Amino acid sequence: MAEEKTYNKPLPDFRPETKPYWEGAKNHALVLPRSKETGKFFFYPRAMSPGDDMSEDLEWVKASGKGKVWTYAIHHMGPSKAYKGDPPYVVALIELEEGVKMMSNVVDVDPHDVFIGMDVEVVYDDVTEEVTLPKFKPVK
Amino acid sequence: MASNIPGTQEAREVLKKHKIVIAGVGETEQGKIPDRSSFHFLSQASKLAIEDAGIKKTDVDGLVTAFSLVEHTFMHCTTFADYFGMKPKFFSSVAVGGATAVWMAAEAAMAIASGQAEVVLCVRGDNTLSGISSSGMLALIREMCHGEFEFPYGLTTPGGYALAAQRYLHDFGATREQLAAVAVTMRKHAALKENAMNKEPLTIEEVINSRVIAEPLTKYDCSIISDGGAAFIVTTEEKAKELGIENDLAYLLGMGQGYSHQYMTTLENLDQIYNAINTSGQKAFQTAGLTVDDVNLAYLYDCFTITVLLELEGLGFVPKGEGGSFALEGRMEIGKDLPVNTHGGLLSQAHLGAMHHVVEATLQIRGDAGPRQVKDADVALVHGNGGIVSAHSTILLGKEPLS
Repeated sequence: MAEEKTYNKPLPDFRPETKPYWEGAKNHALVLPRSKETGKFFFYPRAMSPGDDMSEDLEWVKASGKGKVWTYAIHHMGPSKAYKGDPPYVVALIELEEGVKMMSNVVDVDPHDVFIGMDVEVVYDDVTEEVTLPKFKPVK
Repeated sequence: MASNIPGTQEAREVLKKHKIVIAGVGETEQGKIPDRSSFHFLSQASKLAIEDAGIKKTDVDGLVTAFSLVEHTFMHCTTFADYFGMKPKFFSSVAVGGATAVWMAAEAAMAIASGQAEVVLCVRGDNTLSGISSSGMLALIREMCHGEFEFPYGLTTPGGYALAAQRYLHDFGATREQLAAVAVTMRKHAALKENAMNKEPLTIEEVINSRVIAEPLTKYDCSIISDGGAAFIVTTEEKAKELGIENDLAYLLGMGQGYSHQYMTTLENLDQIYNAINTSGQKAFQTAGLTVDDVNLAYLYDCFTITVLLELEGLGFVPKGEGGSFALEGRMEIGKDLPVNTHGGLLSQAHLGAMHHVVEATLQIRGDAGPRQVKDADVALVHGNGGIVSAHSTILLGKEPLS
């Protein structure tokens, strides 16, 4: 019998309006919400555009998945026991090509080789059967 | 100097007319005190502030509290009113994280100016160190980040501030030593305060070589967690005289708020943080008709070393990027250019939001700060910051009323 891998870290607390984002991630696509009225992307996903348009007429657009590290913090302690063995890990704010920032982990790299301005691209971490977390790795 | 902010002249007239003051302060023992509940600390701090003012409990007709990380209630102020045995005419709970304590003073002032109460007890206390459960601690961390788009990546509270610190070091070429210098100054000040938790001398090397929490921040860049309570009484000069309060009064000269973001994800750049800090400060300064040059001592929210540099710069005490050298040169120490957190702050005295910042600013204005007393302490600025440098509040306290 294959070893069952249990994932004990916090999972996203889903909201109804973010379903397209997480379905996209599950299908290994990074999709971002955009107001049809203004053509502006925003992040994090919300039911209503946070711009002055206050529009609920949104579209979900597949992002290039490329961006740059805007800032990062090398965590030597996780928020709970579930992170035991993980540190040091990198939590970063990624500035996507589409102009919005998202928080993620930078993986497949020595944490001390990460730098501000580093080019990164999305990878998908299927943490459970239901949930996939978009993460980033350096562009080789 | 920022252009004239709408509303500040009206605010000035209100404060000038009512002459709002802090007339009494109290602080309980701070530290690891496992045998006292959150409401026990609130009660003790309230009693101490009432006694310091030399008034009776029944003279108090307004109550402003905050929140508790241990006792969960949706109605914190009225829950405490019940516990303490008072029936306030005005009651309110302020809950804007580290911006809370400073804004409690403003909330009390606004209540008094609009006739809701005359003598307002502002009190906060908690047994955070001894009473918080691991799930409570996790809930606190989660409060600082987005539950859906940030928390799953393992962000911690120090990690959030490390994100800001890393970008700050990058943008200004600031150094690790400069951040560490903030913690060293706070420790020097705490050594002069009897009721402080950490007083052993600390060096820059010790800060840098302490346990790494979230690079670039180490253990001593992070504030302490403590049990304790603190309170202050807000009233008017007239009412204070009527009640026979003998303390020197600390006059409220100005107040303001500034908002940047809640989640780091939506932060555009460091300027957004600076602008929020500056707006908060400028509202207070323009209301008071003062500038940074008039301030003799500053109480800056020091949950992490980085926030002190951002606030020094955002408030306009030093240009952007120069807070670090200001700290490293020891210019925040008592007796130097701008004494900051003369009680040791959240980094070394105790952590109860900015309650102790307000209490210490009041004691300094009164001339009651003992070995920490700053000469000519005429005007003090107190700044609070909630979230991850997100929500800001500023008050100015002075020896003389607005004229």
